[in-house]
Amino acid sequence: MRISDLMKMGLKNLSRRKARTALTIIGVVIGTLSIVIMISIGIGMNTSFRTQVMELGSLTTVTIQKNAAIFDKDGNYINSKEQAMDDNLVNQVKQIEHVKVVSPVIYRSAVMYSGKYRSDFQIFAMDYNAFKEFGFPALTYGSMPTAENKDVFLVGSDVGMNFYNPGSRMYQQKQIDFSKDKIKLSFNGWDYQMDPKKKEKKVQLKDIAIMEKSNNEYDWNCYVDISFFMDHYKDYIKTLKAEDRKKAEKALRNYDQIRINVDNIKNVEEVQDAITDLGYASESLSMYLKPMEETSKMLQLVLGGVGAVAMLVSAISIANTMVMSIYERTKEIGVMKVLGCVIRDVKKLFLFEAAMIGLFGGIIGVIISYIASFCINKFGAPIFSSIMNNGWGQNEVTKFSIIPIWLPLLAAGFAMAVGILSGYYPANRATKISAIEAMKSE
Amino acid sequence: MQDEVEKIIEIKNVRKIYRMGNEKIYAVDDVSFEILKGEFCCLLGTSGSGKSTLLNLMAGIEKLSGGEIIIKGKNIHKMNENNLAKFRQRYLGFVFQSYNLMNSMTALENVEFPLIFKRVKTKRRKLLAKDMLLKVGLGSRLNHKPSEMSGGQQQRVGIARAFVSKPEIVFADEPTGNLDTKTAMEVMNLIKTISKENNQTIVMVTHDRRLADYADKIIHILDGKIQSIEVIPNDTMENDPTLEKADKETAATEDNIDKMVLEEKDMSLPQIDVDSLSEIENVSINTIDGDKMTDINEKERGIEE
Repeated sequence: MRISDLMKMGLKNLSRRKARTALTIIGVVIGTLSIVIMISIGIGMNTSFRTQVMELGSLTTVTIQKNAAIFDKDGNYINSKEQAMDDNLVNQVKQIEHVKVVSPVIYRSAVMYSGKYRSDFQIFAMDYNAFKEFGFPALTYGSMPTAENKDVFLVGSDVGMNFYNPGSRMYQQKQIDFSKDKIKLSFNGWDYQMDPKKKEKKVQLKDIAIMEKSNNEYDWNCYVDISFFMDHYKDYIKTLKAEDRKKAEKALRNYDQIRINVDNIKNVEEVQDAITDLGYASESLSMYLKPMEETSKMLQLVLGGVGAVAMLVSAISIANTMVMSIYERTKEIGVMKVLGCVIRDVKKLFLFEAAMIGLFGGIIGVIISYIASFCINKFGAPIFSSIMNNGWGQNEVTKFSIIPIWLPLLAAGFAMAVGILSGYYPANRATKISAIEAMKSE
Repeated sequence: MQDEVEKIIEIKNVRKIYRMGNEKIYAVDDVSFEILKGEFCCLLGTSGSGKSTLLNLMAGIEKLSGGEIIIKGKNIHKMNENNLAKFRQRYLGFVFQSYNLMNSMTALENVEFPLIFKRVKTKRRKLLAKDMLLKVGLGSRLNHKPSEMSGGQQQRVGIARAFVSKPEIVFADEPTGNLDTKTAMEVMNLIKTISKENNQTIVMVTHDRRLADYADKIIHILDGKIQSIEVIPNDTMENDPTLEKADKETAATEDNIDKMVLEEKDMSLPQIDVDSLSEIENVSINTIDGDKMTDINEKERGIEE
């Protein structure tokens, strides 16, 4: 039998018993629907955890902090210890496998002035080469620092909103446009006190680059290359009170942070272990994500289990339908055999019919899943937002059910596979029907 | 003289034993005979005589208990099911008593059916099926379903289906069993005409003595054993020049039968008009039920050959 004839015949047989075929397909639809929806909610949950954690930074970033937190076995904070970090450590970390980029970080509080308005913020000094690797957002204005021009001042997308007029009564606010307004930078933040006899040193910023909004740490901070920072910060130290000057100089000898970018999220733990071996404590967001992902994995399993039960029921109903249909068609099968139909074709025909029930059910199920998923996202907020929003992120989760592109394909394929599997036994039975059935007269 | 013609089916000491509890039933008991190519062979017997079982054995539908059946030089009971199916595709056609058409399919599709198994392409398949249906006189009913056709028409579709792939052998199990006498005769004529045209071998099972008269060879079966084998010499196909003559004679017989059918309509009891059949030599006439069988001299000769 040609495959096209087999398919034609199979589809015709299915359409002969429309009601029964439809009912069986509905069973598969329910099975597919429940699996797809359950998995999509699981994925939605995972994604929302991830985005919420990502708002705090990149998942492939490992940091070594100056003040490392010490946790007990249960993950409760006990104490902190100070770790001395210098170029030596930076070089050591660079040798660790899977480490892509390492950058020392110094951060200080700083002030920007624009006319009467000022803004207090954190300035981060890092190796300019590492900007891209740490997933800095794309620029909306200006250009990234290069070897020739390291003196670029990178501004987060929302930094411009924080300017206020300290002289006004209500601390009147103003939105600053970094691409137009003139900005001066000073390091006279909260860290140290200035020598009252000296004048505050303000640096006119010549080359500003603005980053795109990315809903993470980059939005609120400013970044410069370490050399640019050092030049101006040393000038600033000279204006400090004598005792603060010593403190500031001493603090500058060590880095505040070492940021490490790992090549793959899977290797984060390995890199952290290596750092622990160096005698340093490190942290990463993956660390926080892990227990969350475990929770959601378990939830997904439970949800998937519910879907699987529905699918099992539909598999049984496919088998039942096929057995029934074979009973009805006993004579027909006998005739087919007498007319020279090869056993393999009989088997293929019934497997094809079962597979089609599965596939149709799968496809319809997937379509309905999309509708259901849309409804969950639109109307499911009261139920799901309590589960999924952990209060970390600034952005509310609005997508509770996410259907990635592979899911419908997998689901339809799975439904078809279930069809074939449950059609296997009936198809085998069909092959055992003797040609003698054709000879029996009614 | 028959040695010149190919023996297409050879039955050697065939046995079929059923078990009913502790009792053994010999449905077919040590039967041997041969069928020649182009022969119209009739297995004649009462119900329960084992004639249908014998047909099923010849078609490989039932399993043998003993002996062997050789068709076209091949022992069909030594084949596996797959090869047997392929063998059926190539060499065998079937006409059933209850037509066994696919109710969901049109006449055309039903005739196409065996060709589907033979992997014939759609276009060619449709053409062959259409030709065949035209030949059986159903050109106007190509797209009718079996439920929209009379019994006779359905059996014509059945015949078209059996002959569409031009099989060398066609088995017919009581092909007219569900038809009235007039239609039965039409159907028989059809089978005979088509088979003679292509020199196809027909093996027909019937309990109706009148239908047996279409045959070249009649094998009387009683209680699983051959009672006698009649060969009607006029219709044997051994020498080619007689072919045309044979056809003419067939036609003549058909005329007679038509006459007979007409006469029969007036009669309350179906009886054979002996005179109309007297053209055929050495025919033993039985009652229709065939429960009495007259021995004839011809029988012995047939076996010796």
